[in-house]
Order: sequence, then structure tokens, then C-alpha cells
Amino acid sequence: MKTFEEKWTAWLDGELHGEELVAFEASLPDKAAAEAEKRGALKLGDLLKTQLQNRAMGNEEFFNHQLRERIEKETETAAPRERTGTPRALWPISRLAWVGATALAVFSICTFFVMREKAPTDQSQYLTQILNARVDPAMSPNATISMFESKEDKVTVLWVEGLQFLPAEYATK
Amino acid sequence: MDTEATPAQADVSELDLVKQCQEGNLEAFDQLVSRYRNRVFGMIYNMVHNEQDAWDLAQDSFLKAWKSIGRFRGQSSFYTWIYRIVTNVTIDWLRKKQVKGFGGEFDDSIQLKEIDPASRTAPQAAALPHKRMERHEIRARIDEAIEQLSPEHRAVILMKETEDMQYHEIAEALGCSIGTVMSRLFYARKKLQSLLKDLYEDV
Repeated sequence: MKTFEEKWTAWLDGELHGEELVAFEASLPDKAAAEAEKRGALKLGDLLKTQLQNRAMGNEEFFNHQLRERIEKETETAAPRERTGTPRALWPISRLAWVGATALAVFSICTFFVMREKAPTDQSQYLTQILNARVDPAMSPNATISMFESKEDKVTVLWVEGLQFLPAEYATK
Repeated sequence: MDTEATPAQADVSELDLVKQCQEGNLEAFDQLVSRYRNRVFGMIYNMVHNEQDAWDLAQDSFLKAWKSIGRFRGQSSFYTWIYRIVTNVTIDWLRKKQVKGFGGEFDDSIQLKEIDPASRTAPQAAALPHKRMERHEIRARIDEAIEQLSPEHRAVILMKETEDMQYHEIAEALGCSIGTVMSRLFYARKKLQSLLKDLYEDV
């Protein structure tokens, strides 16, 4: 089922025939006005045909030359991708695996050396003594013991607070 | 539909050229381009009204055609197929232009209509034959009217009136139904008739 617009267009272009044409023309409320509009549309078509045709391109050969260059450039860039079958930007899985394994090995070696340097050396003998002696919580409930140690300078400072008395074995030798 | 083919070129059928293109023969594609470049350029120019833009869009269209020629199955003529690419490229460009709001500065039709013939800095009227000036003015009026149509309506009216394409060819080129083509033609004609009535009645 054609719409009015479709029928009108077909009528203007002489594409409406037979019963369809008769029925359409009979349905027009003002046939004279419709005919006038049809003549106008045909004149418009002639005007467009005469005024808009044959816009010369100019430099036609250069057009082909430029296009050829663009195509050749595109073909050159596309060729390596086609050869490998995968886009150049992506790495093959084997290369990814090698890179991953190497990165892991480097990370492990670095971690080993860093951890070894930071590993605690021999503990201070004073700290060992204090930890072994333990502060009696009944005798000194608020006692706190802090230790500051600088290995480079071979210095250890013990900061003791809240002791009710100092056990004999804490005495500096 | 007439083509620009020379007798030597006409010896080779279009389908043969297309087959050679599909095998990667750039020479064959060059021949196809030579056959259709002027019509393609003219069609685009009528839609965008700027020579440089029309040139660039024609280049883009043919480049796209080369890239996708492997998918051409010969169900329609090469001409209809290339027109589909041309209209898609041009309509996309026009839509982007509308969104960005650029244009005007390099619009050839504006150049024509904005020059005051009486201006001292304008090319002197004496240098231009009267008829040529008149033709420019008519052309500018038509371009201005066409610019008021949507890209799709422009394509339909130009294919029908200047390219003499059939409804089914236009539908194929635009990827829509014949009914849509006829409906668009109806509205495009109505609009242009209202804008150019004085012009076509005088001419």
C-alpha cells in the first residue's frame, strides 16, 4: 500500500499507470492545482539538470596520481600485518611468556638481595638480657622498655620507665 | 548512463576491471576511477558546494572503494555500488559538519553570493560576461536552497534530477527502501519548489 507521498512522486515522474493512475487522479481534490504543481516540479527538475551538471573537476590526472599514492601507502602499511597474520601492535604469546619469565627472575633476584641486606644481624646482648629477664608485672605493672639501636655506630640505648626497682642482673657489666 | 570511458577503455568491460581490481590490479582500478571520477566529483560538489571538500571526499570514497572491492559481488552495477560509498562518505561528512558547526568560510556558494558587483574590491562586472554572472547567481540560489535540505534529501533529489537514476538504484545506493526514496523525493521537491519558484518560473 503506497502512501500519498509515494503516489504523488510516482505520478510526477510518470511512473503511475493503469488503474492506479486513474484512482490517484480521481482522488485529487483540485486537479488543476495538482497539474500546475506537477509542471512546476518538472521545471524544477529541468533547472537542476541544467544548472548543476558537469562541474569540472580539473587536474583529473593528478586526482588519479594522488589516489594511487594513497593506496600504495595504505598497502605498504597493511602488508606486514597480513604477513604475520596478527596486528603488529600485539606480541605473540611466546614472546609474552619470555618477557614475563625474565621479569619474574629479575624481581626475585632483587628481592633476595634487598631482604638479605635488611635481615637482622646478631641481636644486642642487652636486649637479649632484658627479654630473658622479663619485668615482673606484679612488681612493676607500668614498666615499659624501649630500645634504640644504631648498628653503624655500634650504639644501643635502652630506655626503661616505670620500674619499681632494677633487678641485680640488669646492672651494667 | 553515460561514462567517461574512452573507446580503448570501453573495450574492457566493467566487470572484468572489477575482477582485476579484486586480484589487486591497481591499473584496473585506475581505469575505473577515470571512468567515474567526474561524475563522483560532480555529485559530491552538488552536495557540499566546495571544490576542495568535494575533491577530498571523492578521494576518500575511491580509497574506501579500493579497500572494500573484494566484497563487491556484482549484484548491482559498479556505478551504483560506488555511489553507495560516495553518498555514505558525504552524508557522514555533512552530519559531522552540522554537529561541529563549521563551514561557511570556505563555501564556494557563499563566496559567489556575497560579492557585491558594485564593490570596488570585487572583480569588475565588465570583466565577467553578463550571462556568466547571471548563471553564478542562479547557481548560488540553487546551492543555498539545497543546503536547507537534510543530507539524505539532498542525495535523493540530486541522484534523481541530475543523475537520472531510477528509484531502485537510488534505494540501493542509499541502502533504504524504494518507498523511502519516493517519500524523500516528495519532501525535497516540495521544499525546493517553495524556495526556487520564482527562479524556475523565470528561467
